[in-house]
Amino acid sequence: MATMRLGRKVTPVVLGVMLALLYVFLFAPVLYLVYTSFAANTTWPFPWKPNIEAYLNLLDLRAYHEALWNSLAIGVFTALLSMTLSAMGSIAVLKYRHKWRGAFSIIMISPMFVAELLIGISTLIFNRKVLGLPGNVGSAVIANTVHGMAFGFLIMMAQLVRYDWRLDDAAQVFGANPWRTFWHVTAPNIWPAMLGAFVITFLLGFNNLEISFYNLGAVPTLPSLAWGSLRYGLEPELFALAALVNAAVFIAFVIVYVLMRLGIVRFGYRGV
Amino acid sequence: MERLRRLFNLPATRFLLLGLPGTLFVIVFLILPIVSVIVFSFWRTESYEIYADWNLDNYRTVLFEGTYLTFLWRSIVTAFIVTAACLAYAWPVAYFIAKYGGRYRLLLVLALAAPFFTGTVLRLSALQAILGPIGVINMALGYFGLPAIEFLMFTKIASGIGIAYLYLPFMVTAIYLSLLNFNFQFLNVAKVNGAPPWRAFVNVTWPLNWIGTAIGITLVFIPCLAESVTPTFLGGPSGKLYGSVLGLQFDQTGTWALGSAMGVLLFAVCCVVIAAMWMTINLQRSGFTGAGR
Repeated sequence: MATMRLGRKVTPVVLGVMLALLYVFLFAPVLYLVYTSFAANTTWPFPWKPNIEAYLNLLDLRAYHEALWNSLAIGVFTALLSMTLSAMGSIAVLKYRHKWRGAFSIIMISPMFVAELLIGISTLIFNRKVLGLPGNVGSAVIANTVHGMAFGFLIMMAQLVRYDWRLDDAAQVFGANPWRTFWHVTAPNIWPAMLGAFVITFLLGFNNLEISFYNLGAVPTLPSLAWGSLRYGLEPELFALAALVNAAVFIAFVIVYVLMRLGIVRFGYRGV
Repeated sequence: MERLRRLFNLPATRFLLLGLPGTLFVIVFLILPIVSVIVFSFWRTESYEIYADWNLDNYRTVLFEGTYLTFLWRSIVTAFIVTAACLAYAWPVAYFIAKYGGRYRLLLVLALAAPFFTGTVLRLSALQAILGPIGVINMALGYFGLPAIEFLMFTKIASGIGIAYLYLPFMVTAIYLSLLNFNFQFLNVAKVNGAPPWRAFVNVTWPLNWIGTAIGITLVFIPCLAESVTPTFLGGPSGKLYGSVLGLQFDQTGTWALGSAMGVLLFAVCCVVIAAMWMTINLQRSGFTGAGR
């Protein structure tokens, strides 16, 4: 009995340490990148020689601006398209008891289980040889959306399973049309799920190498630029750019934490 | 007009209006391309052009010639080991977040996604700079006069660590999402009825969260199987995987038909894995009571 009580106290600590170690493992390379971006000697940055040249170079390097814009465009359009399609799909499947809802769910979730490499080469073959289209940002957005929509769909489903559709019925009984019902009743309740789907699909599109690589031809993105510069050793400017992106993300996290701390946003958490 | 409105108000119409766009999108932009890969795998490429004469040569090459099957086998073994390691580590972590995370559990899960803001190539090259021969770990060991850890330098193990690094967050998230909908009260019931903690886990927690776990396993196993980027950084000369060889057919040698056959083989293996996972799912044992209302 005593060992069991001890176990109950120790288990959370052990699990917590495992989580902490996982964070260390996941963030060590990112921190290394940020550290190296401030060093003059990038291949072996010890001892540290502080230097911000990489950041200054970033301001006037055309190739990086173009790649950044392409990546952002792919990320944003992939996220918008994925979020819209997956929200519509998950609402359809969960709200209406139609005989096809099982089939629709399976089709919409299926891209998640197709490897990125396969999505990349199959869209390359389909666009180039069957449709005769050249690779561009548009086809990369479409290919990334196939992948992202499945993730969005899963995220939306996981959250929407607990949504009470009688709220929608109530709104309609009081005379709201479908759009009003969505904007005033459904959306305020499910926006954390939609935001989650947007953020995750943005990330998938923004940083995607394998799907975009086969669809873009000569159009540069940040991942393809990094991949291309590999054989000459990565340029410190890429590290600097990654560091800037991470700084922006870190600030966003701090803001979310503070807002949660102050109780302004809850992100669907309904406990104490 | 009135008729149209009535049609629009039918639940079936609403369902199709909302559900069809996504479904058709997948059919047009994923299923048709995969069908075209299957067709191309029976064609022939010659000097970067593809010709429609039906033959089985590509499959003969992949299955009986050269080292393609060796690479595939290596990928399968790697995927098994990495998935098992991810599963063993992800479960406790996801359990911790779901049970003890409280109001910050979403933040804790999002923090797992945060490294994804940095591109795969950059993170892997940083990982290489940490694990490699002139990497942080081995240089630090050398500084204290300790021998370097050989297996971290351009080996299959290093490559496995890199792949686990990329996909572990997916596994944790899948299990976490499952545990989020798991009623921890069941464990108290098990305890009241005299079950020791391990028994409660084996008979209650694990089966009730098996669907999420199976999704996590599939989400890690399949990208592992198709991995092509990681071995380039961490695998060294003997660590090349099937995905890397498959990629080469498209961006360097231009042998699209052979690459298509390799892709079909990879797709077939993935389908077998998915089917196997699907067979393990028993909806009743998973506590499934029907989605939605």
